[in-house]
Amino acid sequence: MIEVEHLSKVYGSTPAIEDVTFAVEPGEILGLLGPNGAGKTTTMRILSGYLPASAGTAKIAGFEVHEQSMAVRKHIGYLPETPPLYTDMTVEGFLHFVARIKGVSAGDRPRQVQMAMQRCNLTEKSHTLIRKLSKGYRQRVGIAQAIVHDPPAIILDEPTVGLDPRQIAEVRSLIKSLAGDHTVILSTHILPEVSMTCDRIAIINKGRVVATNTPDNLMAQLTGGSGYELEVEGDVADIQSRLIVFLQGLPGVKLAEIVPTDLPNHHHRLRVIAEQGTDLVGRDIAATVVGAGVGLYEMRRSQATLEDVFLQLTTEEKPLDTLTDPDDVEPSAGEAA
Amino acid sequence: MRVIMSNILAIYRRELQSYFASPLAYAIAGVFWLLSGFFFITILSGITQQVAYADSAGYSSPIDVPYQFLQFFLGTLGSVALFVLPILSMGLYAEERKRGTLELLATSPVTNWAVALGKLLGVLTFFTTMVLPLLIYEAIVFSTTTPPFSFTVVLLAHLGLILLAAAILSLGMFISSLTDSTILAAIGTFGLVLFLWVIDVLGQKLGGPFGAALGHLSLLKHYNNLTQGILDSSSLVLFASYIVLGLFLTAQSINAFRFQRS
Repeated sequence: MIEVEHLSKVYGSTPAIEDVTFAVEPGEILGLLGPNGAGKTTTMRILSGYLPASAGTAKIAGFEVHEQSMAVRKHIGYLPETPPLYTDMTVEGFLHFVARIKGVSAGDRPRQVQMAMQRCNLTEKSHTLIRKLSKGYRQRVGIAQAIVHDPPAIILDEPTVGLDPRQIAEVRSLIKSLAGDHTVILSTHILPEVSMTCDRIAIINKGRVVATNTPDNLMAQLTGGSGYELEVEGDVADIQSRLIVFLQGLPGVKLAEIVPTDLPNHHHRLRVIAEQGTDLVGRDIAATVVGAGVGLYEMRRSQATLEDVFLQLTTEEKPLDTLTDPDDVEPSAGEAA
Repeated sequence: MRVIMSNILAIYRRELQSYFASPLAYAIAGVFWLLSGFFFITILSGITQQVAYADSAGYSSPIDVPYQFLQFFLGTLGSVALFVLPILSMGLYAEERKRGTLELLATSPVTNWAVALGKLLGVLTFFTTMVLPLLIYEAIVFSTTTPPFSFTVVLLAHLGLILLAAAILSLGMFISSLTDSTILAAIGTFGLVLFLWVIDVLGQKLGGPFGAALGHLSLLKHYNNLTQGILDSSSLVLFASYIVLGLFLTAQSINAFRFQRS
């Protein structure tokens, strides 16, 4: 539905995005995740046809976003970073206007506007001037204008920014309800957002896509899935020279290390991470610890969070080679919003 | 074609609605009516006093009061419009840029031309409604004249005013599309229009064919033609050219804005 190939955008001499490639299947929700200034908004703007790309192609529903701009515009709903609202209009009047310029026929307009207001919980505010609405409601009007013409592809730039937790939950469930009939691409810098709403994630950093996958696979691929965290008591040199070596000798262990903490004297935290695709047996680990003569105070299974993945991908200079070619991910010279 | 018309109409209605919902627009209309009413009274009484004086002094050459009045009054209205129109046009695009709604228009299946034309028609309609009440009191005054005064001349003069307004608003719309500051747009438009208003003075100073060509660009000269009841096709062409030029430049500037923005 949405195909982006080798897309680049340069502002003056500063590259905003470089060689961005990803695809979104029909009915899917793709989350574009990245820190501020990573190039998310630029990517969204190119997809919406608002900005031309410097290089590369982007297609929506088979139409090239720049060359067949008018065709693409009919097929997309777009919520920019700041909701584009005519504050002197009522909610209903504004949605009627948008439906009209998006090419919804006069006969369908009232029904479409009602539906968009219903989906975004705006019906009770339909005759209120947008100027008088709170930020949460304005954001919803912004989403309503993006779906009022029932477009096959919906582009949402930071759809939950500035909302309170309850509104965020509502908007997320709204976005999830759009999947299936619509293809959705949304950008965010909030991690739980993508893991909760998106089928797939593209992590973008400094203008480059550093990983694309489902949230579960991303975590599994990057951290080797599950592991254990232990709190042990013993001499640090002893633990380092014996216990860690023993643990690393266990089958399926990818990494065993001491995690720096401020635990009381002689107490240390250890992390044991499993090889990809294998499951560690807690009994073996416990037996090894006890066998090494080290006191075991706590032991629990740990699951890598998306946060770990994100930090790993966006703060480390070198990403894991399982995902991307290392040459592709040198930190780029600049970044732009 | 039907789609384009529908789009233009949608933009037109939205624009018009925003004027009728805007306190600024009402303030402008109020000031315009106040000033035009004031000038109406002073010019009318000025001319009638002049006639009374000429009568009592026994001058034989008659004065065409309605004609003179119309010319003076419309000339003054043109000057008032010079100040009022940049304020009406300043927000046309600057506001859209500031609010971010330009991003909505630019990603909707509407051409830049359609947006610009819809907006221009909207603001022009608002200005026309500002002028309409003046026609009423002109009609009252002119209905008392003997011999009856040709109302076609009055209509032609006002058509001149509307054409002048369309030209200024179109250029003002272009200036407004260059910036997201409404104040800057208003000042820029005022400067440009003032320059075009008096460009024939510059043309006379320069002389030669270039000076003559400059003189033809003057808004004031062509406007005066129309207020005198002279339907000169070159005036119509000039105003139409300014209108089309404004629309064209606006469409181009929106394109350029999207291509160059950083």
